[in-house]
Amino acid sequence: MSIRLLSPIRFSVAQIFSALVVLAVLCSCASPTAHAQRSVSKRFPAGKNVRVELKNISGTITVESWNRNEIKITASLEAPTANVTPKLMGECVSIDVMGDNRGRGDVGDVNFKIQLPQDSSVDIETRRGNITVSNIRGGLVRAHITSEGDITLSGISASQVLAQNTIGDIFFDGDFSRGGTYQFQSTKGNISVRIPSDSAFRLVAQAPTKKIALNEFWNNGFKNLGDGRKFVGDVGDGRSSVMVTTFQGSITFLRR
Amino acid sequence: MNCEKCQELVGELVDGALSPEDESTLTLHLEECLACSEVRNDLQSIVSFCQSHRGEYSAPPNETALWLRIRNVIETEVQLPATALPAQGFWSRWMSRSWELSIPQLAASAAAMVLIVSLGTTVLLRRWDNGAGKAPVATLPNSDAATRVRDRMREQQQAMDYWNHRVEANKVRWNQQMRDTFDRNVKALDETVNERLNELNRNPHDEFSEAMLNAALNDKLAMLRDFSDL
Repeated sequence: MSIRLLSPIRFSVAQIFSALVVLAVLCSCASPTAHAQRSVSKRFPAGKNVRVELKNISGTITVESWNRNEIKITASLEAPTANVTPKLMGECVSIDVMGDNRGRGDVGDVNFKIQLPQDSSVDIETRRGNITVSNIRGGLVRAHITSEGDITLSGISASQVLAQNTIGDIFFDGDFSRGGTYQFQSTKGNISVRIPSDSAFRLVAQAPTKKIALNEFWNNGFKNLGDGRKFVGDVGDGRSSVMVTTFQGSITFLRR
Repeated sequence: MNCEKCQELVGELVDGALSPEDESTLTLHLEECLACSEVRNDLQSIVSFCQSHRGEYSAPPNETALWLRIRNVIETEVQLPATALPAQGFWSRWMSRSWELSIPQLAASAAAMVLIVSLGTTVLLRRWDNGAGKAPVATLPNSDAATRVRDRMREQQQAMDYWNHRVEANKVRWNQQMRDTFDRNVKALDETVNERLNELNRNPHDEFSEAMLNAALNDKLAMLRDFSDL
């Protein structure tokens, strides 16, 4: 036995490779993050004018429509101690990560995926993290990030759209409804608005950087206020109201 | 014996300290005079009460302190005529006061004054520097618009100080990522505020910059409020 211990042991490349693979698998299974990730999923029946309200702290939020008459909320929790309890109150499904975890300390990221009928309203606010909302045609789409994160709203046809962040870009791709209100504001981010060429609206666009590109939506009726930092004017005969403000970024209007 | 003489001696009568001769004269007067007789009766009843309740009164908790207080009161009353001299102002009294200082005392006083002035200057300069760090860097010229902006900023600063205080108290509970995010975003908002202030410094009547400054200050306040909840 002692002779065997002292003598060199020969390993094949396959043996070494297998051992490394086993080791890697064991390590990844034992890592705290792998254990920490927890998923919560809940479904609610959806009425006609359903509304989803989400108050998150940190993490990505993805909202998309589907053809089912129900709402599915899936949350991926970074911290095992975090608590997410969606509540149904009448026609409104409410998720308050802040309230559900008060006094629990740092709960880490909570990433959401919400699937709901396209006629729903969506009201989302978070302290940080990206928000993506796609193919929603309800009354309201609100995406508010207190600090940083990109906001991407695509396929939106709501009568009221509000998007605001501090650091991060905002992208809107959708329609402006007649009589609707649309506000996009970023402190340090670029704002892009992609709309059909026949869109009709009253626009107030403000950017101290003077980087305002209205492209084919520009017309001579626009008033240039503040030496190119603010433009006010009507596009077409629509009565929807659009306000776009960025303090340190650019504003770009694109034709769909 | 008249009433005056009688009332002088009535105390000694009650104490039983009169000579037999004086006692009989006084007794005769008391039998004839109702007023003096009432005085004798009153005095007699007081003495009798004191004698019958002797030892029942409670002694002062600290006899020495009581006497000291009485003495202080008496001395104060004695000194009152001196303080009741024609009223002199603090400044005139201070100015008319004479100082006798030796050379070492004089040197020590001068050194103390130099030390106090230099310390005071250092503290003031530091405060000034801190204030400049918190408040926007740009200064505004004197005009109605600038005054309006300054007033607005002063109001906002008070609210921001309040929320900032709450944020700082809660910050220890955040993870490092959240702390970094917060600092980055406050910096972005401060940059915006300073840019607008610089613009207003160049053109105090720039309404666009004033409106944008107000919006940026509101955004900063909202962010502080939101993060103070974490």
